Amino acid sequence: MSLYAAAAGFGLVSASVIAVAAVGFTMQFGITNLINLAYGGIMITAAFVAYGVNRAGFSIWTGLAVAAAGGAVASLALHRVLYAPFLRRGTSHIGMVIVSLAAALMLSNVLLALVGYDNVSYVVADEAAVTAGGLILTRVQVVVIGIAVAAMLAIHALLTFTRLGKAMRATATNPTLARNCGIPTGRIIDAVWLITGALCGAAGTVAAIDSASFGVANGSTYLIVILAAAVLGGAGQPYGAMLGAVLIGEITELSAAALSPQYKSVVAFAILVLVMILRPQGLLSKIGALGPAG
Amino acid sequence: MTASELYYLFTLAVYAGVDGMACIGLNLQFGVAGLVNFGFIIFQAAGAYAAAVLSMPPANGGFQQYVLGLQLPFPLPWLGGAAAGGLLAVPIGLIVLRRLRTDYQAISLLVLSVIANLVITNARPFLNGAAGLSLVPPPLTGLVDTATVGYQWLYIVLTAFCLAIVLIAANRIVYSPYGRTLRAMREREPAAAALGKNLVRLKMEMFVLGGVIAGLSGAILVGFIGVWAPATWLYPETIVLFAALIVGGRGNNLGALLGALLVPVGFEEATRFIPEFGPPGFIPAMQWVAIGLLIIGFLWFRPRGLLPEPRRVFAEDPAGGGAARAEETPRPGARGIGSAGPSTPLLRADRVARRFEGLRAVDDVSLDVFPGRITGLIGPNGAGKSTLLAVLAGTLPVSAGRILMDGQEVTRLPAYRRARRGLVRTFQLSSEFAQLTVLENLLVAAPAHPGDSLLGALRGTPYWWADELRLVGRARELLARFRMSAAESEYAGNLSGGQKRLVEIMRALMLMPRVLLLDEPMAGVHPSIVGEIASFLETLRENGLAILMVEHELSMVERLCDPVIVMAQGQVIGRGSMSALRRQRTIVEAYLAG
Repeated sequence: MSLYAAAAGFGLVSASVIAVAAVGFTMQFGITNLINLAYGGIMITAAFVAYGVNRAGFSIWTGLAVAAAGGAVASLALHRVLYAPFLRRGTSHIGMVIVSLAAALMLSNVLLALVGYDNVSYVVADEAAVTAGGLILTRVQVVVIGIAVAAMLAIHALLTFTRLGKAMRATATNPTLARNCGIPTGRIIDAVWLITGALCGAAGTVAAIDSASFGVANGSTYLIVILAAAVLGGAGQPYGAMLGAVLIGEITELSAAALSPQYKSVVAFAILVLVMILRPQGLLSKIGALGPAG
Repeated sequence: MTASELYYLFTLAVYAGVDGMACIGLNLQFGVAGLVNFGFIIFQAAGAYAAAVLSMPPANGGFQQYVLGLQLPFPLPWLGGAAAGGLLAVPIGLIVLRRLRTDYQAISLLVLSVIANLVITNARPFLNGAAGLSLVPPPLTGLVDTATVGYQWLYIVLTAFCLAIVLIAANRIVYSPYGRTLRAMREREPAAAALGKNLVRLKMEMFVLGGVIAGLSGAILVGFIGVWAPATWLYPETIVLFAALIVGGRGNNLGALLGALLVPVGFEEATRFIPEFGPPGFIPAMQWVAIGLLIIGFLWFRPRGLLPEPRRVFAEDPAGGGAARAEETPRPGARGIGSAGPSTPLLRADRVARRFEGLRAVDDVSLDVFPGRITGLIGPNGAGKSTLLAVLAGTLPVSAGRILMDGQEVTRLPAYRRARRGLVRTFQLSSEFAQLTVLENLLVAAPAHPGDSLLGALRGTPYWWADELRLVGRARELLARFRMSAAESEYAGNLSGGQKRLVEIMRALMLMPRVLLLDEPMAGVHPSIVGEIASFLETLRENGLAILMVEHELSMVERLCDPVIVMAQGQVIGRGSMSALRRQRTIVEAYLAG
């Protein structure tokens, strides 16, 4: 039984990591209407930026901040340099998916050329375990959960209480109408890329902290879990992504305790398939993945 | 030439054949039908594994573990490989292609590709896990000496033979009416469904056929190289094939072949001779970067590739067609009015409702559409007119109520089956098939064309050419009537807004509908053509067609429509003749205030 209690604790940490990543991903999709398959690549790049900072003698939390900033800049650059020009040309949805897949391929291979194939780990001062209500977590894991909760609250506040958040939601619903109402949609979209990019960079770092070691190949694994969480919650829905993250995080860790850790992403995928068969629009969306009728 | 150089050239030739086949298969899916199969490589892998375990001896506790091991004679392993690719496509297609949006389809297949590789890598007893299968016997082992140069030639001939069959079949599909339907689906799915095309079936057919071709290519490859492991079919291999198609030319089988020669064969082999420098793994990483750059560069500078999809131009007066056959051409709308007389409605909506997340776009609407009459549908913007049309045609499902066509319930029928019963709609927004010519836009709508099915297309041009000529003649009559003959071979995407509307009306008429639902047919049309459309609609009415028309130009409604139905805020607020409606204060206010 204690095995499952420990797994539930790990599930909470996984859920936190996935939530940070999936909320960023799903906001990009919901507001800019673009499936950014380079997201996993930017995550792992940011994790390596944090690794560089960490190796230079700074704490991993400094590295996390630098990685978040780096993720923000890289995402904005990706949008400005690559995606925006194609969008201005009227490239189709699916054309954009192909462009982003090409970008993902390039990004991870440039990174591979720079850092090589070996796995690395952060230097984290790992203190004694914290026990609370039957769960045993390390101090670092508690901080990771704290970061995720803070990020989720910040996103909630942003979308609910600020003018920027309202403008983002307006742009997501109908960009043309938003522009005609005087919302500077171009600047709003830039802000979305910065904010989601920061989430992406932070998510990459916390994901790397959460796993004992990491390498470039982890990027595509991250992407699958994020896609599963985002689709499960209802693509484009930030709250759905949070819900999806909790479900995927707990289910994968509990199943890893029951089956074998190798199958974590297989379980995530099985959930994805079930959702696509039973409720393709996701838990919290009414339209989502459904195509045109007929 | 040394023996190893010779062997290298043989290898290149087989690779070219295998990649060429795979690219043609992907071209049918992506280039022609618009299916973005990011998991294409798993179908090749399925074929390779199947061919391997069908030709290998039983595992019997040797150094590798695998299932089957049937030692079947050639060509059964190749056929088995093709079958495996096709069979795998059935469940995957049924899950992915039926309801999901195109971009979701793409990412689901990508994720599937990654996961399938992971599962095979970790599940050793099935197909020997990460180590993969080796010592796969080449075809005809035991019958001929497989270590000779002659055998290498034989292998190339067999590969070329398979490639030729695949190319001929693919060309028959692409240049047939069926291929035209696939391209229409690629251009605009809802419009294709509204013309009676069964999108799920079309997609499944291309998904399975592409799977068969991919499986065959995998079988041929594994027979030659003798090994097959998860590392050979990682998901980026699919991206290489996409790069090949984008470089070579989507929609063109020869472009697909050229792309296969340039990207997987030419590019990857050429870079193999770059001397190793930089850290280990630097060169392969840069190869992948270059593949990404090729995709992005071509999409930007030459999006249609080196050999673009050709524009189809029909001969000026194809022999035997045109005027000679004009007499047998049925008049548009002359399908007969069925069991319904002029006094019984052909289309009936019974308390139909359509809600969007609490908004009642169509609220409890009942109406009848009679043959031999044009029923007008007017009302302010946002009244729910277009939504009602979409619900009647099946583009959107109803939230409540019933729809009857000719006395039979069609409420649950998908759009394409309603269209086949003669219930055809046009769209408010232009919905031309942009990369089809004007003439093709009309031809694609023709019902029951013998060449408009997979088997019909595979039987070749003679099987459907006579019907094609007859239809070209009919389409040209319509084009002449609407003064669009000069634009017959233009891409519909290059037309003006008004011309696109005309194309859409003509396209609907090619279907010989019994009930025509027109959504603002005259919006944006040149005034001189408006009169022409009006008189044509009058002809259709005389022929017994039932027409429901949304229109804002009230003078046109007054001339053509009786009765007229007024909608506001999702509900019917009045009906009768235009002159009667004009006298009702509430209706005038609702319309003007709207």
